[in-house]
This record gives sequence, C-alpha cells and structure tokens, in this order.
Amino acid sequence: MRITLVAHTPDVEVMVATSMLTTTSGAQPITLYERLHTNPEKVREVVGRLEVQHGNVLEHNRLIWVVEATRDQVMDVMLDTRYLTFTKLGDERWLMSGNLRTVAEYAHQKNTEFTKKLVESVRDAAPTIHSYIRRGAK
Amino acid sequence: MKAKLLAYTPLKPLREVSGGQDWRSLLPHLGYTFAVEKISRACSHQLVRHRVASFSQQSQRYITVKRLAERVVTPPSVETAGAAEFNKLVEEVCEAYQRLVEQGVPKEDARFILPNASETSLLMTMDGRSLLHFFGLRCCNRAQWEIRALADRILEEARAAEPDVFNEAGPYCYQLGYCPEGRFTCGRMQEAMGMYRP
Repeated sequence: MRITLVAHTPDVEVMVATSMLTTTSGAQPITLYERLHTNPEKVREVVGRLEVQHGNVLEHNRLIWVVEATRDQVMDVMLDTRYLTFTKLGDERWLMSGNLRTVAEYAHQKNTEFTKKLVESVRDAAPTIHSYIRRGAK
Repeated sequence: MKAKLLAYTPLKPLREVSGGQDWRSLLPHLGYTFAVEKISRACSHQLVRHRVASFSQQSQRYITVKRLAERVVTPPSVETAGAAEFNKLVEEVCEAYQRLVEQGVPKEDARFILPNASETSLLMTMDGRSLLHFFGLRCCNRAQWEIRALADRILEEARAAEPDVFNEAGPYCYQLGYCPEGRFTCGRMQEAMGMYRP
C-alpha cells in the first residue's frame, strides 16, 4: 500500500491556531489569522496547547492523498473510519481526502502500516501536530 | 457582517493527478475555510444545520459579552418598526447579564439570557460539494435575509478564488435550470438566474 500526500490546505497550523483562539480569545478570526500568519513562534506556542482543546480545531483543513491499494485494502480503511473520502482513479489507484482530526483519531485508535504512513505523510504540512499525533498514537 | 475565504485546496493539482476525471467528482476532496464575522446567533444556528462542515465559534463560556447593545444584529424590519422596543430589551438583558456575572454566576450560565440577536464570529470549513448545496439552498429568494446575505458574500469569495468551480454556483434554480421548491417557488426564477450570472 503506497500513500502520497498530493495537496493540502496551505498553512495548516496557522489555521489550527486561528481556530483555537477564535473560540476563546474574543478577537475576530480574520484579525487572528492575519496576525498569526506573520508570527510562526506564536503559532507553535498555541498549537502546542492542543491537548486541552476540542478536536474540531483540527478540522479546518483538507489533505488529499493518492493511494495505491487493492479494493480490499481500501474497504478495510473505509470500515475503520467513515471520515475519509475516496474516489477511484484507476486500477488500484485512489484519491483519498480527509482532515487532521481524522488522521489523529485514526492513528490514536489503530496501529497499522497504513496509519503509520498516514501520520508520516503530514510531517511537513503540520510538524507540531505531527508530533502531537505521534505522542498519542497506539 | 463579514466573510472571507482564508484558505482552500485548489482544484488544479487534483485535476493533474486524477488524469481527466470530471471536476465535479473531485468536489468532495476540495476544502474551503471561511472566517465569518458579526452575524447573529440566529444566523449561526441556521449555518450549523449544514452538518457536512466544521465550525469553530466564539464561545460564550469563555468570552464575556461586553456592551451587548453595540454587539447585536438588528433585523431591517425591526429598524423600521419596533426599534425602541428591541433596543430597550437589549439594554435590559445587557444590564441583567452584567449583574449576574458580577454576582458570581459563571459566564456559561449567565449567557442563558442572551438573545438570538447577539453577534458571533466563527470559522467554517466545507468541502466543495457541500458548499454548492449550501449556495443552492441559502442563495435562494426563499432563504431568510441574513443567511442569504452571508451566502452571497461567501459565494463572491469562492468565485474570486475558483471561478471555474463556482461560476456555476448560486441558488438551485440557477444551478439546475428549474426551481425545486415546488408550490413554494418565489416565481422569480429568471430574475434570480440573472442576478447570479457572472
């Protein structure tokens, strides 16, 4: 089974931090996003407090992968989680998408080759969250 | 009211890897995140009924409501008739809320008396297919004025970012070429279609 991240929402962690502060700070989300966009240190600090937040802050992004797998392998993933979306591209080739919450919850609930590859695939897009997911992974 | 598209996943790279798939089949894979500011709680209640979406909304548990009178959405119909009554009640609620908080009632309980008119802001993320459905229902002449105004602003943002996808978006009469509202139709389909043609 091969999995390649081919596209994702830009600045995923800026969006996670914006979402976290929108719910609790009283500042307006556009202002928060613009401020955080130029302050990567603050983003890391806010996203580092992720454990205390509701999981929905991880939902404001979309990650899209190309997956090379058999129908049975895809069926197993679909039965494990209903929050990943699949489109068949060709023989044993699929487009799959979901958000970071799905990646985190799937990895925390199941330890398989697929979930390990899934977690590794988000390392560059969301480094702080990648560490958070790895800490909690089964 | 403000709506801004903060981030999205563009269609182009998906078209490249999908090798000629119809772009409509790729819509569920596209994600759009909007900041929505200064709508009423009445509007956000309607918004969250679109369940295939994610929302992060300002919390009245954590954020103290200050100067409620300046942070309410007043419907145009109230501005023309009933403004005095509306404003008087908002003032009274504002004072009562402050008194409750000062007396030690937690914000999460004091908020129970706040009106639907209270302003709120939020982040909303939808996939492309859900967004088309949202526009189909909420840009419609039959939608309530506030969420319709919001849907129109979101549509403007979406069209500016991905015209190939969203120039075809608008109320269902515009998307489908017929009105699916049956006997509830507004009867002004041509006018609506004209309004949404880019």
